[in-house]
Amino acid sequence: MRRLIPWIALIALGGAARPAAAATCDTLPNPVYLQIGDTQLNLVKRLGRALRNNTPNPITLVFVTSGSCTNINAIYTRVPITGNMQYIPSTAEDAAWTPASATLTCTAPGTGVVPDIANSALLNSACTTAAPPATVHLQQGPVQAYVMGVPIASSQVAITYEEAYFVFGFGAAGMVTPWIDEAQMFIRTVTKSTLLAWGANISVPANKWKGMAFDGSPAVVSALQGSTTPEKAIGILGVEVADALRSSIKILAFRAKGQHLAYFPDSTSTGRDKRNVRDGHYTVWSPTVWMDTVDAGGAPVSANARYVIDLIVGRSVAPAPNFSAIDSVAAVGLVPDCAMGVTRSFEGGPLSIYKPAQSCVCKYESLVVGSACATCSPTNACASGVCRDGFCEVQ
Amino acid sequence: MRTLIFSIAVMALGVGCGDDGVKPSPDAPPLHDASVDSGTPTCFSGTPTTHEQIINACTSAQGIEKTTKPPLLLPDGALPALPP
Repeated sequence: MRRLIPWIALIALGGAARPAAAATCDTLPNPVYLQIGDTQLNLVKRLGRALRNNTPNPITLVFVTSGSCTNINAIYTRVPITGNMQYIPSTAEDAAWTPASATLTCTAPGTGVVPDIANSALLNSACTTAAPPATVHLQQGPVQAYVMGVPIASSQVAITYEEAYFVFGFGAAGMVTPWIDEAQMFIRTVTKSTLLAWGANISVPANKWKGMAFDGSPAVVSALQGSTTPEKAIGILGVEVADALRSSIKILAFRAKGQHLAYFPDSTSTGRDKRNVRDGHYTVWSPTVWMDTVDAGGAPVSANARYVIDLIVGRSVAPAPNFSAIDSVAAVGLVPDCAMGVTRSFEGGPLSIYKPAQSCVCKYESLVVGSACATCSPTNACASGVCRDGFCEVQ
Repeated sequence: MRTLIFSIAVMALGVGCGDDGVKPSPDAPPLHDASVDSGTPTCFSGTPTTHEQIINACTSAQGIEKTTKPPLLLPDGALPALPP
């Protein structure tokens, strides 16, 4: 008995000293595992909340963020995620949670879990020339624009293709004032979509960039916000990150190669309509790519994973959700494919006119800026076009 | 007075080319390199089909004119190779 008491005491002490362990992710309701770009975090937080509350088909999005090229490799070669993952609580679990709140943490089950869904925030061909395995299904989702941001105290409003080439390809030696301090050029590492997309648009390959390379967008944000020389500071970000920080970070207009004027992603510096992305005046954007695993017959291995992807890319799903996915897409600054008027086939490639099979321009504009389109209903038909989501869309 | 009438006529044409006040002439070719007073070529006023036409299509969106040239730009406007 005397030998047993110290063991009991040690166990009790150990239990008190250890922090509460995170739950194993597979104990959450209907988990779908994702590995996403960090530019997609705001989208997944909103969708994660909606899907937890989706009574017809409740799903828990369990995710980690990483670089797009890393994510592609993870699903192409089935690299398991280990360690801590993130998820969003349902309203029943935490009624006060908002997209600005922190995510919750769980632990990947067993020896790790291969992601059901991987996301690239740019075309896969920018990361690898290898064809996707037959077991991986790709769908193009909402368009992500990329921006150059400066601290709000900066007087700069625009940058040209030529200036960006010298700033990020030559660094201080490029002599483009005021961006001549490489310690104030905040960039990303070479597997990140933000750097790769910008690189393709300014003709600076990923391994040639000058500046301070950060692993995550939050570090770029902190560096811009904390710069003591704001006029010299410049950084690259996904637009959905910058859009959420307009009070501290200013988005620069960009003049592409061969373009006469510089344009913002939105029709004005303060707008939210992404009109210039949609019509091609702002050229630095890429479709997001969403990948899941299929069996030998081409059927999705995880029906819930495909359900999530179909919602993100704007396809109909069954059972119908109790929320509108396009609301989440538009709210975070992404542009649904059905609202685009231009397309491209490779990263930074030339734009061409695009007409989606089922337009959602009216619906999208109603969410971000207000729509001038005619409205319709089962008892109020459209004079022209197609009635969809209460608006007369062109097709 | 003639200036005023011309101005009203130009405004009535509607479609703009950024916020620099440059307007496409209805008689001009859709896209050309002739500089106007501001030094900025006019926007493309037709239905765009090529990349160059798309990015330079006339728009009511806010456009920023930037005329400064990087010091290392080559005399012909080309870019030098990136440093190793």
